[in-house]
Amino acid sequence: MKGIVFVKFNEFVEELWGEEFWDSLLDEAQLPSEGIFTTVGTYDDEELFTLIGLVVEKQNISSKDAQFAFGKWVFKELFNAAPAGAHDFKDVFEFLHAVQDFIHVEVKKLNPDALLPEFEFLAETTNSLSFHYQSPRKLCYFCEGIVHGLADHTGQTVEVSQTECEHEGDSRCVLEVVKV
Amino acid sequence: MTLSKEELEKRVSVLERKALREKKARQLAENQLEKYSLDIYEANQSLKAALAGSEQKQLELEYLAQTSNNVASEIPLKDMVSNIVELTAEFCSANYGLFIISEEGQWLTEKSPKVWSSQQGWQENNELKESIVGLLPVSDTNLAESWRSAQIDTPPLDENTPVNSIFYTSFEWSGNKIGWLAFLRPDTELQQELEVILNTAKEHLVSGIRRRLTDIRILQRNVQLQDSLSSLEKARRQLIQSEKMASLGQLAAGVAHEINNPIAFIRSNLEVLQDYLNDYKLLTSQMQASFKKDNTLEVSQFTEICKKVDLEYIEEDSEDLLQSNIEGLDRVKEIVDNLKGFSHSSDETLVETSLTKCIQAALKIAGNMFKYEHKVVNNVTTECPPILGNFGQLQQVFVNLFVNAAHAMEKGGLLTIDFTKIKEGVVVHVKDSGSGMDEETVSQLFTPFFTTKPVGIGTGLGLSVSYAILEAHGAQVTVDSKLNVGTTFNIKFPQID
Repeated sequence: MKGIVFVKFNEFVEELWGEEFWDSLLDEAQLPSEGIFTTVGTYDDEELFTLIGLVVEKQNISSKDAQFAFGKWVFKELFNAAPAGAHDFKDVFEFLHAVQDFIHVEVKKLNPDALLPEFEFLAETTNSLSFHYQSPRKLCYFCEGIVHGLADHTGQTVEVSQTECEHEGDSRCVLEVVKV
Repeated sequence: MTLSKEELEKRVSVLERKALREKKARQLAENQLEKYSLDIYEANQSLKAALAGSEQKQLELEYLAQTSNNVASEIPLKDMVSNIVELTAEFCSANYGLFIISEEGQWLTEKSPKVWSSQQGWQENNELKESIVGLLPVSDTNLAESWRSAQIDTPPLDENTPVNSIFYTSFEWSGNKIGWLAFLRPDTELQQELEVILNTAKEHLVSGIRRRLTDIRILQRNVQLQDSLSSLEKARRQLIQSEKMASLGQLAAGVAHEINNPIAFIRSNLEVLQDYLNDYKLLTSQMQASFKKDNTLEVSQFTEICKKVDLEYIEEDSEDLLQSNIEGLDRVKEIVDNLKGFSHSSDETLVETSLTKCIQAALKIAGNMFKYEHKVVNNVTTECPPILGNFGQLQQVFVNLFVNAAHAMEKGGLLTIDFTKIKEGVVVHVKDSGSGMDEETVSQLFTPFFTTKPVGIGTGLGLSVSYAILEAHGAQVTVDSKLNVGTTFNIKFPQID
């Protein structure tokens, strides 16, 4: 996984629970990287899952909530880091459609080896959009959080739910975004 | 908020660890950046190399394409080679380029010896050309398989142009000659990649030269063939004319006889008319004597004088004699006209021609070959359809056939000329009741110089010439012959389209 995710997760945890808590997580996790993360590096996915697992355990929250919160928080961070062209969107649906055709193309230019999720759009009306979230990392809750972060950015209010979810025994994850 | 010492120490150690991580992260990031820089540099280098390579490839392709265009074009051979010298010199960054031809190890010098130079293009410079040719192993009569190169210790003439090596090749030219291409370059050696391209270009050039030389040979051969054809045509016309004259020679005795006959009776008639004139003179002198004596002429006296010279008969007979002479002279004129028409060498155009008239004209000339013991039956009436033909030549054919028939019927016989209208045209049958021929003779009938006639009679060309004439008319000849029964020639003429 790209280093930016780890760096942002570090900032997220420190912002919420302080530097000491992050320091204790690293102490306990004994990661191969020793927690030395840079945005230009690439790290094992497992390191993130280990850190999330420890946060869940220590703060007594669910993994779903942890992923969701991080997703919602990280959107603006990623958005600020994104190339200028990505800032022109004013609508959640418009942005979601552009993710694959524009944002991911830009990401690939800088990180050719980045493994990115794919969206398969299934149905769309003026205020609802459903798509199939495909990623071997199965971070569908993180994705839900990101969509919320996106809506905060555009000033829209949305409800995000999963009509199908691999964590609930379904064969795939389908996210439905409804503007309210 | 105040912190206890313990808490402070803990806080410091957390921050120290954080600072250490940040420091290490920074180092990692810097290392990564350096690695990226290096990667970018290397990528740039390989891109530059690839670009240079593709530019070189493009140049090579352009060179080969232009060479091929020249080879495939129709420009003259020497121009083509000159263009290729120029293209090759430019492609290899050569200072000089030239083309020469050698034969048996000797350079064949030209009237205007030209050398291509990068600065002046093609220029006439014998001295320079000689000194460059001096660098070539011209005496070597083995063809170079590829390009050869050699270093030059003493550069030729122009000291301002740096020249360090020569590369050259040789190839087959027309005959036993060898063509040479040579180039002078500032580089000391010929790179292998360049040599591969040059070899390909050379193969193109050699095949182009071969094709052009073959074209030239074919052209020359064509001209020769056309010359032969026209002299053959001329010979054929002469042969037809000679054969006609020869057959005229054979006919001469008969023709003379034919002319002699009327001349003889005209002369005899004139002698009689001379006598009649004397009788008239007598009549007038007696009448004048009577006038002088009596100043008058009695009717009875006049009648007596007239009776004495038989005036009535003289008048009657004179008319007959004069008429007979006119007819005799007409006959002579007709024979002479026919001979004139026959011997005249006409052009060979085929026009609508009446076989009826042609056969009649031929009979007029050859007719006297047939004596009292012969009978000639001509059934070719005006119903015989016209054909596309040459009157003079067809007359010659029929005269030839009639003369042959007469020769075959020395002791008399019957000559029958008939025709049959068929779908494709008309067949004329010339049938004699003569000696006939065996199969062997029939098979050689149209062979030139084949004759069964004794020496002095016939040339042996008559039928072969006739055959050639009929062939030109698109006519087909068949012969039916039986020994001691007779021979029939069947000539099938095609219908007029």
